[in-house]
Amino acid sequence: MKKIAIDQFSELVKVLAERGPLYAPVKGKEGVNFQAIKNPADVTLDFYNTVLSPKSVFFPQSEDMIRYRITHGATEAQPVPQESRPAVILGVRPCDVRSFEIMDRHFLGAGVIDPYWKSKRDNTTVIGFAFDVSAAADPADFYNTFGYGAADPEGSDVFMVRTDKALLLKSMTDRGKKLLDSLGFLQVAGAQDEKVFEETVKKGKAVRTRSAEINPQVIAKKLVSVFDNGEFWQKVTMACIACGACTYGCPTCYCFDISDEMLFKEGSRKRFWDACTFTDFTLEASGHNPRPRIFQRYRQKVCHKYSYHVDKYGCISCVGCGRCTRVCPVNIDIFSIVDEANKL
Amino acid sequence: MTAFKKIEDHLRKEAKNLLEGGKVTLVLAYARGFDEKHPVPCVVKAAADADHLVFNEYCTYNMARYLTRYPVGTKIAVAVKGADSRAVVQLIQEGKVRRDDLVILGIPATGMKNQKTGEVIDAKTTASTINPVLYDVLLGDEIHGVKAGSPYDVLAEFEGMDKDARWAFWKKEFERCIRCYACRKACPMCYCDPCFMDASRPRWADKSPTDDGTLMYHLTRFYHLAGRCIDCGECSRACPVDIPLHLFHKKVAKECEAMFGQAAGMNIEDKPAMANFKGEDSDQMLG
Ligand code: SF4
Ligand code: SF4
Ligand code: SF4
Ligand code: SF4
Repeated sequence: MKKIAIDQFSELVKVLAERGPLYAPVKGKEGVNFQAIKNPADVTLDFYNTVLSPKSVFFPQSEDMIRYRITHGATEAQPVPQESRPAVILGVRPCDVRSFEIMDRHFLGAGVIDPYWKSKRDNTTVIGFAFDVSAAADPADFYNTFGYGAADPEGSDVFMVRTDKALLLKSMTDRGKKLLDSLGFLQVAGAQDEKVFEETVKKGKAVRTRSAEINPQVIAKKLVSVFDNGEFWQKVTMACIACGACTYGCPTCYCFDISDEMLFKEGSRKRFWDACTFTDFTLEASGHNPRPRIFQRYRQKVCHKYSYHVDKYGCISCVGCGRCTRVCPVNIDIFSIVDEANKL
Repeated sequence: MTAFKKIEDHLRKEAKNLLEGGKVTLVLAYARGFDEKHPVPCVVKAAADADHLVFNEYCTYNMARYLTRYPVGTKIAVAVKGADSRAVVQLIQEGKVRRDDLVILGIPATGMKNQKTGEVIDAKTTASTINPVLYDVLLGDEIHGVKAGSPYDVLAEFEGMDKDARWAFWKKEFERCIRCYACRKACPMCYCDPCFMDASRPRWADKSPTDDGTLMYHLTRFYHLAGRCIDCGECSRACPVDIPLHLFHKKVAKECEAMFGQAAGMNIEDKPAMANFKGEDSDQMLG
C-alpha cells in the first residue's frame, strides 16, 4: 500500500493529468461533477457524491461515431478513431464503482462488444474513494440494499481512503498496482496505515443507508406479475413530469439515441443519451407510440432495471446511489416504488 | 401568517369535503415523499385519502402544472400559492382550463424553501405575489404588511451587464445544460404537445446536446414564455445543474409589462399579451 500527504495531493493530480486524460471531481456552480482535468488545482475531494454519475467518462452524453462530408455526388465518411491513451478516473464512490461492472455486462457481454465503451474502459484505471465513514449517508442513498458498504474497495483498481493528514492508496488489481508502482514519489505505507485502511473498510459496513430485502430473482418475477396493475403504476408515478433528469444522472442507465446531424455539407453520426421517460422514447415513425403514457414509461424504467436486466444479465441494474431521487424535480423515489411493488 | 400546520389541516378538511360532496373528482396538492423535507405532488381521488395531504415550507411545486393533463370538464380542486394561482389564471386566459371546472384552494405563504439548499426562495421568484390572486377557498389568512419587493429586483446585477457580458453569461450557464428538459416539463405554461424540440419534421434543433441546439432550445423557450411566465421559479428549481433560467424569464416579463401594461396571470379578464392587439400597444419591438 502507498500513501501521500493531503497537502501533496495536487502533486499526484498534476502527474496523472500530465500523463494522459485524468477525470476527477471538480466543483462547479451546480455542485461537484467529474471533469477532464486541465488545471490540477480544480480537483476537489470535498464532496459527498457527484451530482451526475461518472458514467460519462466511458459513455459520454454525446459521441461522434462517423464523420462525413458530402461532395459532388459522393459522401466521404470516416469512422472516428477511438481513444487509446491510458486514462485515470479518480475519486469514484464505492457504489458507483459497482456500476461499471453492471454496464460491462451490457456493453461487453451481450454478444456484441461495444467498441466505444470498450476502448475507454480498457484504457482507464479506476481509483475508488471511500465515503467519509464517520458521516451519515445521504437520505436518498440505498446502496446497502445491494450489500455495498461505504468503503468497499471491490471493483476499484486502486482504492483511496482519506485520513486526517494523508490519502492511503491500495492497489486492488494488477492495473492498479502498475499505476501505483509507476508513481515513485508516493510513500510506502506502514503497518499502522494498513490498520487504518482495514478499519475504514469495516466502519464503512456500519454506515447505514436505507435498505430493503430485495432478491433479484424474486423482484424480477414480482414486477412482471404486477405489470398490469395500472392503478399501482399510475399512483406511484402521478407526480412524474417525464423529464430526463433521473436517467441522465444514473450511473447504470445506458439507453442512447442515434442521429445524423449536419451543417451545410459536413456532419456526423452521433450517439447520445436517451431517456425512457421522454415522450418520444419509443415513438415510431408511423406516429404510433406503444408507451404513450408517463406511467408506462416510468414502469419501463423500473422493470428494465429490476426485472428485465435480471433476466438478461443476472443482476439488477441499480447500485442505490440515490442520484435519481436527488435530481428528480418532484422527488420520485425508485427505492420506495420498488419496495412497495415488492410488498404487493 | 397562518402556520403551515394549520394550512395543512384546512387542506385536508377541504379536500375531504369537496370529494365527499362530489364537487370535484380529484384534488391536486402535496403528500409526504421519502422524508418530510421532500414532499411530492399528489392527486387525491377518495375522501379517505385526504389525510395523506401535507403542507410545509418545502411544498414549492406549482400544482397548476398538472391541470392540463386532465380533459376539459374534469372537476378539479387545486392547491395554489401566490405565483401558482397566476398560472391558473393564465391557463384560463389561454383557454386551456375552464374556470367552472376548478375549485381553487388558495394558500397565502411566505418563507417557502428550496429543498436542495434550504434557502428561502420568496425574494428570488414569487416576491410580488404572496397572496393568491384568484381563489375559491383560502386555506390561511391573507398576508399583509410584509414588504414585498418588485419581482424584478433580482435582475439588478444582470441588467448592470453590457450586451457582451450578458451573452457571455448565458453561454457559460448553458455549457452546463444536459438537456434533460426538466425545465420545460416542470413549467405550468409549457403544455405544447409536441414541444418544438421533439418535432422531427422539420427538426428545429440538434437532438444531441450541441451548444447550438441548446441555445436554440432555451432562446425559443424563453420567447414562447413571453407574456406568459408567471414567475413561479419552478424551471430553475427543477434544473439538476442549477441554471438560473428564471432570470431570463423575469427580464422578458419585465419588458412585456412595460410594453403592454400587464403582467401574466394577474387578472382573469385580461387577454394574453401576445395574443391581443390594442391600439396603444408599444411598437418598440418592431423598431
Ligand atoms: S436507479 Fe437511481 S439509485 Fe439506482 S443506480 Fe440509477 S441513479 Fe442510482
Ligand atoms: S422520475 Fe423525476 S427525474 Fe425521472 S422523469 Fe419523472 S420527474 Fe423526471
Ligand atoms: S418559465 Fe419558469 S418561472 Fe416561468 S412559469 Fe415556467 S416554470 Fe414558472
Ligand atoms: S433543466 Fe437545466 S439541464 Fe435540464 S434542460 Fe433545462 S436548463 Fe438544461
